[in-house]
Amino acid sequence: MKLTESLRISWRAITGHKLRSTLTAVGVIIGIAAVIVFMVLGGAFEQNIVQDFEEDDGEPGMWVNTQQVGTGSFQFVTAPIYTETDVENLEAIDGVDFVGPEANLRASQFSIGDTRQTGGFGVQAVSPDQYNSEDLIEGKMFESADEALLTQSLVNMTDGQASVGDQIRVNFDDGAAEEFTVTGIVEGGFGTGPNAAVYLSLEHHYNTTIETPRGTEEKAYSSLIIGAEDASVVDDVKKRATEYFDTESDAAQLKQDDQDIQVQTIDDAVDQITSVIDQLTVFIGGIAGISLVVGSIGIANIMIVSVTERTREIGIMKAVGARKRDIIQLFLIESSILGAVGAFLGVVVGIGVGYLGVTLIGWPMAYPTDWVVIAVVVGLGVGILSGIYPAWRAAKVDPIEALRHE
Amino acid sequence: MTSTQSQRQNGASPEEAVVSLESVRRTYYLGEPVDALDGVSLSLPEGSFTAVMGPSGSGKSTLMNMIGCLDTPDEGTVTVNGQDVGALPDGKRARLRGAELGFIFQQFNLLPRLTAAENVTLPMVFQTVVDEGRRERAETLLTRVGLGDRLDHTPPELSGGQRQRVAIARALVNEPSVLLADEPTGNLDTETGSTIMDLFEELHEEGRTILMVTHERHIAEHADRIVHLVDGQIEEIEDLGGDSA
Repeated sequence: MKLTESLRISWRAITGHKLRSTLTAVGVIIGIAAVIVFMVLGGAFEQNIVQDFEEDDGEPGMWVNTQQVGTGSFQFVTAPIYTETDVENLEAIDGVDFVGPEANLRASQFSIGDTRQTGGFGVQAVSPDQYNSEDLIEGKMFESADEALLTQSLVNMTDGQASVGDQIRVNFDDGAAEEFTVTGIVEGGFGTGPNAAVYLSLEHHYNTTIETPRGTEEKAYSSLIIGAEDASVVDDVKKRATEYFDTESDAAQLKQDDQDIQVQTIDDAVDQITSVIDQLTVFIGGIAGISLVVGSIGIANIMIVSVTERTREIGIMKAVGARKRDIIQLFLIESSILGAVGAFLGVVVGIGVGYLGVTLIGWPMAYPTDWVVIAVVVGLGVGILSGIYPAWRAAKVDPIEALRHE
Repeated sequence: MTSTQSQRQNGASPEEAVVSLESVRRTYYLGEPVDALDGVSLSLPEGSFTAVMGPSGSGKSTLMNMIGCLDTPDEGTVTVNGQDVGALPDGKRARLRGAELGFIFQQFNLLPRLTAAENVTLPMVFQTVVDEGRRERAETLLTRVGLGDRLDHTPPELSGGQRQRVAIARALVNEPSVLLADEPTGNLDTETGSTIMDLFEELHEEGRTILMVTHERHIAEHADRIVHLVDGQIEEIEDLGGDSA
């Protein structure tokens, strides 16, 4: 029996039961669409983050921080292990423009004007050399102990009320409360700190010390920013910095055995984030894939019903010369059509819903081309797989019995 | 009755027979063994019109299924157009069935979603006949049975008599060696039934070989001879003095 003939006859069987076929296909459509939607959202989210990073890419540089080993990514350790000596040694490396220590100060509340905010922000002591004047949206760098910079995110927290010249009151966790004059507002967070942040002068506000391996007391920080002189030397600087941390640094000796010193450029960070989002997307896509399994069971179910229902027709076809393989072919093609149509519409619906979602959230659209191909192949595979058993049952029908069948 | 006797009575040698059954036995196990056919020998000479009569349970349907290659004997041989049916593998038997046999059923047995023309084409589809000419062949045959104006109607849109005509056209489409009719008028009123029988007579006059199962004497009398089956055995072959070979 020719394929085109089977296609025609199977198509007639499908359109003969419009409602049933539609509902069966809907099972596959939902499964495929769910997977595609999550792939679109995941891809868009990723692109959005990558875009943010690339837009942020004002200065060539890298972060140095400590991460817990073996617990997956982004488990930052806040222990201060980067000593003043480390900072000086790093600054001496060729191509290094500045080394800016990042030091978190524990604070839980700030108030500015009528706004009082508890949590959701950070206070960091930073070195002024890590900022260029273009980083400042308005105002200028702090100069003394009672001056502070705010990030735009923090200003947004106050509904835009905070501005240069205002007084901000910060309640530190050790019970102290201090007032600062806002001297400037900067675009975003720097390094690994929170986006909403108050930046204070490192010189005046940071005095955490640690005993170095040499037995002396030195200021120490939980992370560093290394600025490179220009983009072309970033990789070299990274290599030398990594080398330094591997060999003679204080930090290497101060860190715990299960901790790792990471020197990350923006590209590294993007890679790391991308890989986490990818894993997450595939995981959620996998869960969505369960509905595809349900959809395939739907096809199998309807095909079995249809074999029982069409027993007589199978008998007739056998009486006029259909072989077992002809019958198998007919039923397999029928289930494959259901799977393929379901997959095709599922992709269309998935891209559509994904596009809608992405547009509403404001992420850039991502077309998961590879997943579209996978979805169509899986849909077709699902159709064939779920048709195998019903087709085998159909082929086994005894024509004598079938023709007697009412 | 032995096979030699039946052959002598048929007046046909086995070489001329399109179908021949040789001591065919078919046993069903329904709690206890039942011989649906108990040593039946019969041959259908080319161009003959044979009716099979008998009470229900006499083995009429089993005989039909044997000749129709739907069933195979437990003992003995069934030969259709020179091929030993019992020795053929499943797929070849299906092909032989489609090529050499044309079924006409009491229930018409058309595929409800296909048009009259498509139903007629179906046996050609399973024989992988080339596309060209198929539609024309179906049209010719449907016109031949008086349905030239109903080509694209589906079975539910046709009357019982019309459906049986479609079934007859379908049975003829591959130029089979034998037409097998199982109570072809059983679902039709007397008048329609007699027009269908007229059609059978015409086909017989064209020289086609026909085997028809019926339980109605007046229908059976259209044939050249009537085979009376009782308890799986041929009780009598009644020659109606037709123009059989």
